[in-house]
Amino acid sequence: MTDITKQALSPPRSFLSQDAIQVFYRLLAALLICAALAVFSESFLSLGNILNVLRQASLTFFIASGLTLVVLTAGLDLSVGANVALSACIAGTVIHQTGSPLLGILTGLLVGGVVGLLNGVMVTALRIPSFIATYGMLWVLNGLTYWYMAGDTIHGFPAGFRQIGSGYLFGLPIPVYLLLIFLAIGTLFAQRTIWGQEIYAIGANPVAARLSGIPVARRLLLVYAVSGTMAGLASIIFLSRLNSAEADIGESLTLPAIAAVLIGGTSLFGGVGTVFGTFVGALILTLVLNGMNLLSVNANWQPLVTGVIVILAVWLDMKTRRRTQ
Amino acid sequence: MTTALPTEPASPTQETLPPLLELRGISKEFPGVKALDDVSFAVFPGEVHMLLGENGAGKSSLMKVLCGAYSADAGEFYYKGEKVTIASTADAQKLGIAVIFQEFSLVPYLDIAQNIFLGREPKGRIPGTIDRRKILADARRVLDSIGFEIDPSVTVDKLGVAQQQMVEIAKAISQNARILVMDEPTAALSDRETELLFALIARLKADGVAIVYISHRMAEVFTLGDRITVLRDGRRIDGVRPADVTSDQLVRMMVGRTVDMTYPRNFAERRGEVLLEVKGLTSPAGISDINIEVRQGEIVGLCGLVGSGRSEVARAVFGADPVTSGEIIFDGKTISGEPDVAARRGIALIPESRKSEGLALLRSVGDNLVVSALRKLFPSGVFDPRSAQRTADGLIRQLRIATPGARQTVGLLSGGNQQKVVIGKWLAAGAKLFIFDEPTRGIDIGAKSEIFALIDRLVAEGAAALMISSEQVEICHVCDRAYVMREGRIAGHLSRSELTEENIVRLGMHHA
Amino acid sequence: MREAAVVSQSNPLQRIPGVALVLVLLIAIFGAIAPGFLSVANLSNVLVQSTILTMLALPMTLIIMTEGLDLSMGAVLTLTSLCVAIVSLATKSMLLGLGAAILVGAAFGTVNGWLVAILGIPPFVATLGTLGMAQGLSLIVSDGQSVVGIPHSVRDIYSATVLGVPVPIVMALATYAVFHTLLYHTRFGTYIFALGGNREALKYAGLSPNRLLIAVYALGGIMAGTAGLLMTARMNSGHPTAGLGLEFDAIAAVAVGGTSFERGNGWLLGTVLGVIAVGVLRNGLNLISLPSSVQVASVGVLVIVALFLDGLRSRS
Repeated sequence: MTDITKQALSPPRSFLSQDAIQVFYRLLAALLICAALAVFSESFLSLGNILNVLRQASLTFFIASGLTLVVLTAGLDLSVGANVALSACIAGTVIHQTGSPLLGILTGLLVGGVVGLLNGVMVTALRIPSFIATYGMLWVLNGLTYWYMAGDTIHGFPAGFRQIGSGYLFGLPIPVYLLLIFLAIGTLFAQRTIWGQEIYAIGANPVAARLSGIPVARRLLLVYAVSGTMAGLASIIFLSRLNSAEADIGESLTLPAIAAVLIGGTSLFGGVGTVFGTFVGALILTLVLNGMNLLSVNANWQPLVTGVIVILAVWLDMKTRRRTQ
Repeated sequence: MTTALPTEPASPTQETLPPLLELRGISKEFPGVKALDDVSFAVFPGEVHMLLGENGAGKSSLMKVLCGAYSADAGEFYYKGEKVTIASTADAQKLGIAVIFQEFSLVPYLDIAQNIFLGREPKGRIPGTIDRRKILADARRVLDSIGFEIDPSVTVDKLGVAQQQMVEIAKAISQNARILVMDEPTAALSDRETELLFALIARLKADGVAIVYISHRMAEVFTLGDRITVLRDGRRIDGVRPADVTSDQLVRMMVGRTVDMTYPRNFAERRGEVLLEVKGLTSPAGISDINIEVRQGEIVGLCGLVGSGRSEVARAVFGADPVTSGEIIFDGKTISGEPDVAARRGIALIPESRKSEGLALLRSVGDNLVVSALRKLFPSGVFDPRSAQRTADGLIRQLRIATPGARQTVGLLSGGNQQKVVIGKWLAAGAKLFIFDEPTRGIDIGAKSEIFALIDRLVAEGAAALMISSEQVEICHVCDRAYVMREGRIAGHLSRSELTEENIVRLGMHHA
Repeated sequence: MREAAVVSQSNPLQRIPGVALVLVLLIAIFGAIAPGFLSVANLSNVLVQSTILTMLALPMTLIIMTEGLDLSMGAVLTLTSLCVAIVSLATKSMLLGLGAAILVGAAFGTVNGWLVAILGIPPFVATLGTLGMAQGLSLIVSDGQSVVGIPHSVRDIYSATVLGVPVPIVMALATYAVFHTLLYHTRFGTYIFALGGNREALKYAGLSPNRLLIAVYALGGIMAGTAGLLMTARMNSGHPTAGLGLEFDAIAAVAVGGTSFERGNGWLLGTVLGVIAVGVLRNGLNLISLPSSVQVASVGVLVIVALFLDGLRSRS
C-alpha cells in the first residue's frame, strides 16, 4: 500500500464527518426524549400523537430549512415569521379572488422570495448587519400585514387546496411527504452542488472565500432569497392547514425556527451544520413542546422553554467552536 | 529632506551615569523562529537611541518585551543598576517604560483629558463622578509640559494622526514615563509636524527622558540619534554613534548575511508574452501611479519596507481593493471588478496572512484545495465528493503536502503545508499569474526551498509570478528582476544584474 | 501596514441637523395634513406618551454604544408592568409594586449582561432568548388575562402633576438627568465610551470590560422595571402583551437620534429627540387614521434608512 493510500484510509478527521457525529448525537437525544415521553405519558405513542408531532415538526422544518442556509453563512433572518404571515395573507387573498390554488401557491412563493431578496440586498449592497436588517424587515412586514388584513380573517379555501396541509396519503400527513422531499432537496443542494460548497466556504471564512474567487455577494443574495421562498412555502402549508389566514399567524414562528436550526448543530458563526441536522433539531423541539402538552404543562411556558433552549444551543455551539480553535 | 534640529551631541558625561535600563542576553523564541537572540542593550537617560533593522530583524519583538507585552525566555533586565523583572505591562509601567505603538490605544469619542487619564480619573465630590475641572486642568498641565497647545476637551476623533500621537505621548508622560519607545513616529507626519515632534523630543531629552526610536529614515537617524543599535536576525550586530559611521555602513550592517541559501534557479532567457500590465494604478489604500509588467516565465519581485504599499498593489490587481484610477491588463484584456472576476480569468492571490485570508481553517484540506476550482471541475454544478477527493489527493501528491489525508482539518497542518494548500488551490483552478504576498513567512527553511522550487516549476511551465517578500536574500536569489516600492510608489526597478540586497534597501529607504 | 489615518469627521455636532431636521420635517408635515396635530392638548399628549419610551431608549443608547443590543426590553417591560399590577393588587402598595418591578427588571438585565459578557453570546441572540423567557413568564403569571382592580395610587401616578408638570414627564426628565450625569460625568460613563470605541484601551488601563457590560445591561433592566410602573399606571391594569415590541421603537429612537451601532459614540439628547420623532410619527399617522400596523412599518423604514445613512457616514 502506498503512503498516499494509507493516509487516505486512516481515520478521517475532516469536518464533514464531524458534522455526521454531531447529527448522530442529536438523533440519539431525540430518541431518548421519545423514550422518556413514552414512559411518562400514555398518549405519546398513539398514532394520532405521533402523526401530530411529525406534522408540527415539518411545519417548523420548512421555515428552518431555508434559514439553515442563511445561518451557514454566519447570518440570521429574523423576519421569517412575519414573512410567512404576509405571504399567507396575500396568497389567501389571491386564491379567494381567482379561485385558483395554483396561482395562490405561486403568489405565496413569490412574495416570500421577494422579501428574502430584499433582505439579501440590505445585507450585501447596503452592508447592514443581517440581524438588524432582518429585524427591521420583520417590523415592516408586520406592519404591512396588519394593515393589509385590517383586522379581517380570510377563510374557506377549496378542498383540493386544503389537502396540502390537512390531507393524508397512505396514512401519513401530506406535509410529512413534503418534508422528506425538501429534506432531500436541501441536503442535496448543500452537500452536492458547487453553490452549497461555496456557501460553506463563505460561512467558514468569508474573507478567504472572497479571495478564493467566490462571488460572495451573489451567493448571499441567493441564501436570503431561498430563506424567504421557504417561508413562502411554509405559508402555503399553514394556509391549507388552518384553512384561514390572519395577520398574527407569524408571531410564534420565528423563535422555534431559529431554535430548530441551532439545536440541529448549525453554528451561528457559520460554516458548520447540515439541513438534516435542522430536521433533527425541529424534531427535538417539537418533541419537547409536545411532551409539555401531554404532561399538561401550561402552554404559556412554551416561549420560555424555547428561549432557554436557544440560549443553551448557542452556548453549546460556542463551547464546541472554542475547542476546535 | 533634512530637518534642522537643535541637537546637542551626546555628552560624554552621560555615559558615566549608570544606564537607565539595561538588557542583558534577552532572548525570545516562537515556534520555528528565534525573534531575539541574546540581545544586550543599554539606554541612558536623556538620549535618543535609534533602533535599526530590516523587517523581521526583531525590533517589534524587542519593543514588546520592553513594555511587558511579551515575556523574555532568557536574559535579565537592570533598572538603574538593579535587577528587575518585566513580566507584564504593569511591571513596565511601574518602571516608567511606555511604548507608543503605531495603532494608538485611544478611545475615539472621549476627549483628550479623558484619554490621558483613562482609569486614573480624579474623583469628584459625589462618589463615582469625575472632577471635570481638575481633569481638564491636569490634562492642560501635561500637554503644556510637552509643548502641545490644544484644548483638552476636544474629542480625539477630531484629531489628525500627528495630534493623536501627541496625546499618546502626553498619556505616557502623565504616567511618569522615563523611557519612551517610539515606533516610526514620523511615518504619517508632514514635515511641519515632524519638526514639532523633534522639538518635543528635544524637550524630553532635556528632562532626562530616554527615547528608543525605531526608524527607517536615514536622515532622522543621523540628525536625531545619539546612539544607534542595529539588529539583524534577532541579534544585536553593533552599537555605534552617528558621528562614527556612514549610512552605507549602516545598510551593510542591517543586511549582510552569511547564510547559504540554495534556491536553484534557472535564469535563462525564457521570457514569454506579457501577461500582466499595470498602468498608472492608484487606489485609496495609499498607492499611486503604479506601473508594472510581468511576463510569462518570470518571477518578478516586489520589494520595499513594510507599509510601502506592496500588499496594496497585489490586492488592487486582484480586485480585492477598489481602484481610483489606472488600468490593469491581463492576458491582453482589461480587467476590473471583484476577485471572482480575476480568479476566473486566471489570476491567483496567495495572501500574506494565509490563516485568516487564504484558508478556511475549520474545513478539510480537500475542501480548501478545490474551493477555487469548483466551476472548472464541475461545470454542470453538481458536486461530486469522490471526484473532488481524487483531485485533492492528486494535488497532495504533486505538492508533497504532509497530511494524513485530504480529510484532515487544514488548521492542523504546519505552516509550510498550509501554504502549499493555498498554492494548490490555485493550481487546481488553472491560474496563470500567481501573486505571492510573503510566501515563506513563518515557514521553516526546509519548506521554504520546497516552496521556491514549486514557484520555479510553475513559471517554467508557462505561468508568471509576482512575489512580494521582505526577505531581500530571497528576492535576490529567486527573482528575475524586481520593483522596489517606497511610500506608495514605485521607487525603482532592478534588473537581474542590479538585484542586490543593498540596492533594494537603498531604494526602499527614505534618503536625503 | 500603515495608512494615513483618516480623521473621522462624524460627531454629535454634525448630527444635530439630522434628527432635528427629521423632527421638524415630521412636525411640519403632520401639522399640515393631520387635523388637530398642532394643538397644545395633542402635543403635550405626545410628550406624555413618549415618557415610557424615553425610559427605555436612554439605557438602550448606552447598550448600543457598547456595540450591543437589548431585544428583550419590551418583553421585560410587559413582565414588570404585570409585576406592578399583581404586587400592588396584593399588597395595596404602589411602592412595593414598583420595588418588585425593579427587582425583576434588574434580574433580567443582569442575566442579559452575564450571557453577553461572561458566556460571550452575541447580544441579539442572548436577548432574543431572554425575550422569549420574559414573554413566557408574562403569560404564566397573568394566565393570559389582564390584571385589573389595582389600587388608585398606581393609576394616579400617570395623571398627577408636580407644579403643573405631569408626573411622567418629571420622571422622564429625572431619568434624563441621571443618564446625562452618568454618561458624561462619571467614570462609568467614560468607560462605556471605551467599551464601544476601543475595548483594548480599557484592558491596558487595568479595568474589567465584563463587569461594565453586565452593569450596562442591568441598568436597562432596572429602567424597564421603572417604566413598568408608568405602563401599568397608564393602562390602569396589567396586560400580558402590553409592552411587546416597544424595544423596536427604542432602537429606532436611538438609531434616528444618531447613536452609532459600531463606534462607541452616543448622544443622549439625540435619543430623546429620536423618541419624540417616533412619537410624532405615530401620533401623526394615528390622526390621519392610518392603523398602527402602518405606523410600525413606517418606523421600520425609518430605522433602515437611519442605519443605512449611519453606515454611509462611517465609511466616508
